[in-house]
Amino acid sequence: MQGLINYYYRDDQYILNHCTKYLVRSNKDSRHHYLPDAPNQTSDNICEGWRFPIIDAYAGGCKAVEDPNNFYNYNEVTFIYDAGEMSLKSLEILGTFNNLINPVPLEPAYFAKEPTRFYSVTFVVPKNQMHTYRFQVDGKYQCDPINSHIVKFDNGEIWSALFTDLYSQPMAFENWELVILYRLLEQIVPFRTESAETFLNQFYNYLDRSDKEMKYPHVYRLDDSVGEINFIDNLLMRQERHRLRDYKICLEIIDSIIKKRAPLQDPAKVSKEIFIDLYDQMSANQVPDWDYNRYSNPQFFLDLLRRHAVTAGFSHPKYGGNTGAAGWVYLQSRYKDAEGNTLFDWTQALEQPLGSNPNYHA
Amino acid sequence: MGTEEILFDVVIIGSGAGGAPIAHTLAKAGKSVLILEKGPLFLPQYDSSNGISDFRRDELYSDSFEKIITIPGVENKGASYYSSHIEPDLNDEPHIYVGPDGKDRATIEGYTAQAAGGGTQLYGGVSLRFSPLDFKLQSFNADRNDLLHDPDGDVKKNARDWPISYDELEPYYTKTEQLIGINGERKNQQKPFSNEGTYQPPLKPNEISKYAKEGMKLLGAELDGNDPIQPYRTPLAVITQDHAPSGRKVPKDPELAKTSFVNRFGDPLGLKSSTWAALLSPIKNLSNFEIRCNCIATRISCQNAKAQRVYYYDPSGKERYVEGKIIVVACSAIESTRLLKLSAQVDQEFDRRINQNDLLGKYFLTHCFGGASGIMPDRVDKSKALDADWATDCCAVENFLHDYHVWAGAAIYNNTSDQALPISFLRTHGAQDLDTLWQGFKFNRSLKAQGLIDFFDNQFGKGLSVSYMGNQLPQKENRIELHPAIKDKWNRPVAYIIKNWHPHDRYLMDLMADQCGKILRYGSKSFGGSFNFLGQGSIYNAENALARMANHILGGARFGNDRSDSVLDRNCRAWDFDNLYITDGSFMPTSGGANPTHTIEANAFRVADHLLTII
Repeated sequence: MQGLINYYYRDDQYILNHCTKYLVRSNKDSRHHYLPDAPNQTSDNICEGWRFPIIDAYAGGCKAVEDPNNFYNYNEVTFIYDAGEMSLKSLEILGTFNNLINPVPLEPAYFAKEPTRFYSVTFVVPKNQMHTYRFQVDGKYQCDPINSHIVKFDNGEIWSALFTDLYSQPMAFENWELVILYRLLEQIVPFRTESAETFLNQFYNYLDRSDKEMKYPHVYRLDDSVGEINFIDNLLMRQERHRLRDYKICLEIIDSIIKKRAPLQDPAKVSKEIFIDLYDQMSANQVPDWDYNRYSNPQFFLDLLRRHAVTAGFSHPKYGGNTGAAGWVYLQSRYKDAEGNTLFDWTQALEQPLGSNPNYHA
Repeated sequence: MGTEEILFDVVIIGSGAGGAPIAHTLAKAGKSVLILEKGPLFLPQYDSSNGISDFRRDELYSDSFEKIITIPGVENKGASYYSSHIEPDLNDEPHIYVGPDGKDRATIEGYTAQAAGGGTQLYGGVSLRFSPLDFKLQSFNADRNDLLHDPDGDVKKNARDWPISYDELEPYYTKTEQLIGINGERKNQQKPFSNEGTYQPPLKPNEISKYAKEGMKLLGAELDGNDPIQPYRTPLAVITQDHAPSGRKVPKDPELAKTSFVNRFGDPLGLKSSTWAALLSPIKNLSNFEIRCNCIATRISCQNAKAQRVYYYDPSGKERYVEGKIIVVACSAIESTRLLKLSAQVDQEFDRRINQNDLLGKYFLTHCFGGASGIMPDRVDKSKALDADWATDCCAVENFLHDYHVWAGAAIYNNTSDQALPISFLRTHGAQDLDTLWQGFKFNRSLKAQGLIDFFDNQFGKGLSVSYMGNQLPQKENRIELHPAIKDKWNRPVAYIIKNWHPHDRYLMDLMADQCGKILRYGSKSFGGSFNFLGQGSIYNAENALARMANHILGGARFGNDRSDSVLDRNCRAWDFDNLYITDGSFMPTSGGANPTHTIEANAFRVADHLLTII
């Protein structure tokens, strides 16, 4: 893809379709502020700010990626800048998806032959990648006012960040948090039972090597079942970022409880019974040593984790869970009729190469 | 102002079931037509510039990620909610209803979808005609003294005949079935059909439906041994053959339409006959037709009896206006009533005319509905289904109404795609409606690890539900108002829904739910094997019963022959305006014993023909 222009401009209708509902209002109340801290003037009156930049399916239109067999490995990423009432002399974007050297201009979407306040540019970006970017507004650098995902570099610079579908590196959690999460999820997810684990091992081993690399890049992290942790990590950095706080606080509380109950042991290796007991206590909302001042309802956190875990196991793989459709394949292979035909033929409806439907594209 | 066109023959607010038939008819007749559509222009694949639809077979599209209600002053502030990608955000644009404790709550119920095509993008497509009786419930009940649970004679006081009969609407039912593209079976429907061949052939039913079919036959025989009423394939707005009027083609294997991504999913292939796919896409290139999406109409002004301007915010939020010789409001009953009330707030003349009596917003209606569900002996692949397979009219005929002392009937049909997909299977477990998604899963804490597998083993692909859809008794106090305090993101008062069930409604609902229960029990018994009856009930049993509407939003601007007793005349014209029409479900004086979309579309075609005679 090097050297080729990897950006273009989507049609006005597409841009407006993805902007109006979320960004346009006259009332400036912070209606979308869910956290106990003080609201942010700009971002908290944006509905579903996590939708920006728009990460969508790529279906051609860019010289950089022209082979239709390759489309599924890319996302189309559309950056939106809402100029509001301002009239801008120049507006560009600089990002790691485009070599960081040449800023690329954004162009306004039009309605009734007039430019609107919405500017955009669209890049083709491979899946499973994270990138940082900034806008340059009348020559001055600015993070994305809509997308609150930021990254702080060692040199003190703050850049906006995005990640494409199937992104598989942890963003929200440090290793010790991942360990606790992994042990907790053991109690919840269906794929950690013995029979299911046998199934999963067979499933992953059976996968063709090239499939593994292309479709399931993080399959080698077999300690993540069907990618539940990966899904949750992605979710907490995007669509449900208001829940990251619940995880951070509770994982820390749980870590200290485990250390108290199994001193000097690595939580990764602590016996299952310790976690079973903890789980049952959280489920009953009565946990000795829980710091109720910091988080008043451990049962609530458990319920949150359960909803996330099952959504992870069965949602479309693009969200980071249900790796390689393992969750669906589990149901598909478990439920069969007397002749051995599956009773959950999910492939029939879904797009290729994931499913087998010849008509539906995504 | 910009360079866009301002003057049109017809300006239509809303591109769904009430607006699109009018746009289609008038544009094809050469009139200049503008639709203002609040939602985005999301297209099927074949209309999309890059061959990809904005509708996806992805369960996180129909009910998305968690959001939390932040509206001050509502009882459910802090509650989680999950909505479709084309439903409004509740914090930006809530509907508020009064709960049983008298306290205000925000609800997602009552919003049909907001996108080109409106509610017809997300609905399951059940396209039943109303029965002839549904059109004359006042006359039918005038001399009855046998109605139960109606000591004050509220049925007689409040039921109204429609100013048009079934026979008058019938040709338009035919037209709708043909133009929209509906598959089904005419035989065994207890309504007259002038044209026996309007349906496309149905696809093979899902295996789970065999129990429902058998149960319906047995129920029919129980209710009338001499002349048992038989089931028929539920008419569905999904094409199963190439559809010439809209130019849509079906896949080589039409059975591939059965994906269970149906109810609450827009169809990327356009096989579901949304009003976009069926009526608007075919005219989109006409030079005299324009649709402006992402444009919200905010008020209508008038010059004496002539409704003149529709003001709207363009996709940028900039205020613009258009003018029409005729103005049609069709943005779904709650929002249409709201738009008219908001217009009246700022325009005295408009107020005087739209409120020539006190009926605007009154006699708001939904449906009595509910049903029964059970776990059948055998597992089937429910992922290959449409929304409903079998229907019966055995609880909609006169004999039944007399035998059971109810004022009006209900259609019954079995659902097939419900709980067919894994996430919906979990998030609708024990959850009655859209406001309580995930609640059942949350409180059933055995649903983890092996318990989760057991739950799938026991129920996945085995659930069957049978539903009824019945007339709700009109009551004047059931109404839509403007909320006194809560405003939307445009600082406009939001809709305030005040409604309650009449005791006769509750009786009717219990009765119909019982028939659905019988269907399940009789059906499963006849096949043998172990059957687990999960329960029967109706919306009035649900936690937020007063909100639950199944997105059937009706009434609030009923039509009639008497200006003092209705908001609209028989052609859906607001009485004291020369040129203002309301053609979404607002016009209904009674809600019909079936899903309303088909009737809304048929009526809109009828009004369209009338409009052709006057412009």
